Amino acid sequence: MASQEAAEQRLTAEEAGLDNAKRLQGELVKSYYKWVVETKKRGGKVAYCFVMANPAELLRVFNIAPIYPEITSLQISYRGGAPPLISLSEEFGYSTDCCGYVKMGVATVLNKGQTSIGYIPPPDMAMLTYSGCQIYIHWWEQYQYLNKTPLFTVDIPYVRNYDGHVARHDIKYVAAQLEELIPKLEQFTGVRYDEEKLKEYITLSKEAWELWKRCLHMGRLKPSPLDAYFEAIYYMSAITLIRGTEECINFYKTLLQELRRRYEENIGPTPEEKFRLVFEGVPNYPFFKRFWNLFKSWNARCVASTYPKVAGIVDVDAFELNPDKPIESIAEYMIHAYCNWNMLMRTDLIRRYVKEYEADGVVIHSIKSCRSFSMGHGDIREYLIKDLDVPALHIESDHVDPRYYAEAQLKNRVDAFFEALSIRKGV
Amino acid sequence: MRVAGFYVAGVDAGSTYTKAALVDDEGNLVATAILMTGVKIVEAARKVYAEVLRQTGVTEDRVKFLVGTGYGRYNITFGHLQVTEISCHAKGAHYLFPNTRTVLDMGGQDTKAIRINERGEVIDFCMNDKCAAGTGRFIEGAAKVLGLSLKEVGELSLKGKKPVKISSTCAVFAETETMEQLAWGNSVEDVLYGVHVSMATRSIGLLRRVGIVPELTFTGGVSQNVGMVKALEEQLNMKINTSPLTMYCGAIGAALFGLEKLRAAQEVKVKR
Repeated sequence: MASQEAAEQRLTAEEAGLDNAKRLQGELVKSYYKWVVETKKRGGKVAYCFVMANPAELLRVFNIAPIYPEITSLQISYRGGAPPLISLSEEFGYSTDCCGYVKMGVATVLNKGQTSIGYIPPPDMAMLTYSGCQIYIHWWEQYQYLNKTPLFTVDIPYVRNYDGHVARHDIKYVAAQLEELIPKLEQFTGVRYDEEKLKEYITLSKEAWELWKRCLHMGRLKPSPLDAYFEAIYYMSAITLIRGTEECINFYKTLLQELRRRYEENIGPTPEEKFRLVFEGVPNYPFFKRFWNLFKSWNARCVASTYPKVAGIVDVDAFELNPDKPIESIAEYMIHAYCNWNMLMRTDLIRRYVKEYEADGVVIHSIKSCRSFSMGHGDIREYLIKDLDVPALHIESDHVDPRYYAEAQLKNRVDAFFEALSIRKGV
Repeated sequence: MRVAGFYVAGVDAGSTYTKAALVDDEGNLVATAILMTGVKIVEAARKVYAEVLRQTGVTEDRVKFLVGTGYGRYNITFGHLQVTEISCHAKGAHYLFPNTRTVLDMGGQDTKAIRINERGEVIDFCMNDKCAAGTGRFIEGAAKVLGLSLKEVGELSLKGKKPVKISSTCAVFAETETMEQLAWGNSVEDVLYGVHVSMATRSIGLLRRVGIVPELTFTGGVSQNVGMVKALEEQLNMKINTSPLTMYCGAIGAALFGLEKLRAAQEVKVKR
């Protein structure tokens, strides 16, 4: 109801010039792709990796640069380039229901790496870290088939205990596979394993994780100086793409400073903070800004969310990198990938966020072509509403496929949710 | 009709029909009107609004607030406020049946299950997926094949003895499936009974997600379909509220939101 009322004249962070981290993020992504191409030119290898549970620090020791097809796909989709790639994969034989990331990733390889965002080097190897997403296995096998690339697999056991406890033997199981991987990577790259280097990268990673955690915790402030979903999606690029480097640390230092300034000056991503939300699910990338706007127009800020933690659930200390135990701590990190958590743990994380971040409600966004993330969303919604009396909205579109985005229908649901929240909050 | 100090209006521009309601300053419903939406949403909205004014002889200057709702609400540029039809149906259903705690709104292209509190405010809602199965379109598809009007479809279904199982959950395939069932030798009545049972099952699924707390009020265009009312009551094993006015719930609720807005503004003035 309030959507038509005149907004106050307070400036947003963007208008007030307190939005530099996002610009920096854009530059950082560009320089990352440049670095991958250069690594390859200098004789290094390119490994296709998953965002969840990859051993980036270990690969770096062997002069292997990671390419994340999930990120490449979302970058292309964000700029409107998804349809031709999705069509190409569907002509190739993929079903419309198959994961959009897979279809775009495969089409990129079919197009020999030529994309609307620039050249993406083909894989020299495929680093398969199976964690929670069933399709990962078959997707990487497709690369092996198409490019005749070797496939290196690390099998990661699901977190089975509802309290999140991971048995010693699970950690040992993953660590042992990483130990086995080392000589294979030596043989593949011709680079000797150097544990000191690994420790150095882990030390750098650890510092970046710590800073990122502090940025995310700022969502607890009232009003929150950041949108811990829509903005955090930009900010998470650094920890995903370039962790283990000084640049990554510097990025989060800059971000932390910017967020502090925002808070001091009472400036945020929306003119004011009328609603505090927790967000669960992958966003819609082809219409990212319009999707965000459905919430922004109600002066809603996400104060916590799950998706920006796919690279690591750092804010609740699910893992801790330790340079003194490099392999073992990487193993633990890999096990605690978000989709590798069981449903009860995921649900409980959302409950904690609502409480600790004092949220008014939860928005759950399901992805038509992604079951690993959307699994259980109906149950989460029911649990929040019926057991916890927390207002929750469940909507659906797709992460990369614009065909599944119906804005009029989404807007109707979002507006009705805020109308009910307004009455509940008395605002 | 008593002559009120002022009036408020609600216009519900739905995907199939546009409805209007006129309410007086004491909250009494004084007129309703309905028109096919067509492609010119604004025109339909203006016409249907003009119709409630014509019926009552109320001049436009005495309408102090107009609220737009429905999919075409942002096209109702001559209104003062837009509210989703979810909130409006809740309020409208509560107005007609004050003991309503659950609302089922079945319109031309979507079905909504809404849980409300004792003040008619939305607690929770669930809608059909981006697909028209289980909405008015599903019945329209079946009616088209049989060359029947929507009214006839509902009435004929009441004569069905044994509902034919309509397995398809797709509104587009509903037509093909209806034809197929007839070709198999099933009677028109049994096929139509089956169509309504299939739709009822789907909407009950939505209702269960928000929780069915009596009383349940059935709103939207499909609430006028006697076959649908029967199928729902049979499956739910409870009586449901419906009336010739339930199809106007969106517009009525919208007008009542307008009245609330005016009252709130007046209160602010008094306080000052």
